[in-house]
Amino acid sequence: MNLFEFEGKQMMRRFAIPVPESHLLVSDSAPAPMDYPFVLKAQVMTGGRGKAGGVKVCHNEEEYRQYASQILHMEIKNHPVHGLLAEQRMQAAQEFYLSITLQGVSVPTLIVSRMGGMDIEQVSKDHPEEILKLEIDPFTRLKGYQKKMIAGQLNTADPSDLYALLDKLQDAFFSSGALLVEINPLGLVNGKLVAMDSKFVIDDHDSSAANIRSELEQGRSGLYRYTTPEKEQTTVTYVPLDGDVAMISDGAGTGMLTLDLLHDAGLHVASFCELGGMTTPEIMYRAMELSLKNRPQVKAIIVVLIGGFNRMDNMAVGLTSYCKEHGVTIPIFCRMCGTMQEEGIRIMEEHGFPTFNILAEAVDAVAKAAKEG
Amino acid sequence: MSILINQETRVLVQGVTGKSGSLQAKAMLDAGTNIVAGVTPGKGGQEVWGIPVYNYVAEAKKAHDFDTVISFVPPKVAKDSCFEAIDAGIRLLVLTTEEITMHDVVEIIAYANAHGTTLIGPGCAGVIIPEVCKVGAHPVRFFKKGSVGIVSKSGALSYEIGKTLTDNGIGQSGVVAIGGGPVWGFTQRDAVALYAQDPGTKVIVLLGEIGGGSEEAAAAYIKAYVNKPVVSLIVGRNAPTGKSLGHAGAIVNGNVGTAATKIAALEDAGVHVVKNPAELVEQVRALLRKEG
Repeated sequence: MNLFEFEGKQMMRRFAIPVPESHLLVSDSAPAPMDYPFVLKAQVMTGGRGKAGGVKVCHNEEEYRQYASQILHMEIKNHPVHGLLAEQRMQAAQEFYLSITLQGVSVPTLIVSRMGGMDIEQVSKDHPEEILKLEIDPFTRLKGYQKKMIAGQLNTADPSDLYALLDKLQDAFFSSGALLVEINPLGLVNGKLVAMDSKFVIDDHDSSAANIRSELEQGRSGLYRYTTPEKEQTTVTYVPLDGDVAMISDGAGTGMLTLDLLHDAGLHVASFCELGGMTTPEIMYRAMELSLKNRPQVKAIIVVLIGGFNRMDNMAVGLTSYCKEHGVTIPIFCRMCGTMQEEGIRIMEEHGFPTFNILAEAVDAVAKAAKEG
Repeated sequence: MSILINQETRVLVQGVTGKSGSLQAKAMLDAGTNIVAGVTPGKGGQEVWGIPVYNYVAEAKKAHDFDTVISFVPPKVAKDSCFEAIDAGIRLLVLTTEEITMHDVVEIIAYANAHGTTLIGPGCAGVIIPEVCKVGAHPVRFFKKGSVGIVSKSGALSYEIGKTLTDNGIGQSGVVAIGGGPVWGFTQRDAVALYAQDPGTKVIVLLGEIGGGSEEAAAAYIKAYVNKPVVSLIVGRNAPTGKSLGHAGAIVNGNVGTAATKIAALEDAGVHVVKNPAELVEQVRALLRKEG
């Protein structure tokens, strides 16, 4: 779950990390929430809002009215703005970068730089010496010498405030199931460190963070033009695409392979659907439903099954019962092999569905059918 | 000779009384695996397929000698049961469980590393040495004995390529599926390193997919240390960006983790990169002929 800036700052407050005073606005007609000047910031699920005009300083009522209505109705990189954060304006003597991440790494990794307020990827390309990366052992957390290295990187004269902040940041990261906690910029304001922006990503699988997630979800109900994204309740991954051949697989790797084979055969894929860890008849039924329901553009479907944990009899029951109940008429190209394949193939044939044993032959058959229209 | 496991390997199954655990335990016994004990808390004293069940791993360790554990436990208890297995002083732990929270995975990996236990997984299908034994979920029917060593993230893709090679008369010295990521204990690079030293392996097959940088890490290792021929297939060339395709790790963001960067790194390391299973078979066949 990706958090909006205002939610990230709520999380920071929860862990006693200093943030500027701020108020969330969900309409452009609210009275000014604090004394001028203040900063108005678009609450949107993407970066680069400053460049897009989504951050403005308001010095008076007139500017506030104009910017509030402008920013609230913006779309930034195709992401609608869902609210405005009015925030106390702060003059930072220095702006740093600080984050702890578990994205793309297998050990929690702290990244710190003196060059805050800009794109950290760019800093690491242009000024690699300005970036310090440290791995955090989850059992010991940051060790004393590592904290000293961070203070050295930031050239901090009196590091006690920094050390306290590092402890709080680690608390926030380790006790909220976070995959990323990023403060950019971390401002040095009157000698104190303040989180001037915040990016937070929470692991959707982390049950210990379930109450945090539902609390945040509830807090979003009042946002401007925000609808809760529908979440698939099963283990199925479904990604709609814009072609006309739907694809279902019982493995991510074989699904991606099939995607490539279809593409190389000149076909256009309508959707990618992978069953995930659960492989009951109901899951197969659900995969068929996701792939075919309200999808008139789908002209054929290829189902690629190779059973290890997965039982082919279960797959055949799920697939055939969906087809029977919904009177599916488009051609189905099913490759079926592996655990309980004899029983699975028998059920398929009983319902008039032939199966393939070799994946390449199933793909060829789809291509041939597409050519014949 | 083989990598990771052999006919001497003595195995304990965690979660042996569960639906998946007992089904897979039976399949492993049928494949020739020497399973000496099982564990399910609260089910001590029972038997599953003749395997004695204990409440705790330490208890089983007193009665049986084993150096390998395969775990089929639910995600919520995975961390504690991995700690329990590692504390018993094992060499190899195969963790099949999916959807464990990242923070738990990170602790499991750190704990295994600190104690010298090789961790395959999480969320993996494990390892099979065809016609010898297996510690994992690979269906034996897709594989036959030979000299091609396969490593894959995806379990299903390792079955698919194993089956395609077997259908074409080419056997395997080992097949390892390490899990869909985004993080792993045992990596593709680790598997390549073992196959490179394994006298039973003549050709290495590296099956990769979009996302992350583990194929690039394997490529760097191959370039520096591996003299055996390596054939690679990278799947997800035509995947849309910004979407996870079933594996949490299989996602392309901007220019990171694309098939193109992986293919370039592998080709630079002298790896034979193929586009599909049919090409893979032909390439492997030609290399085996050359290796004699």
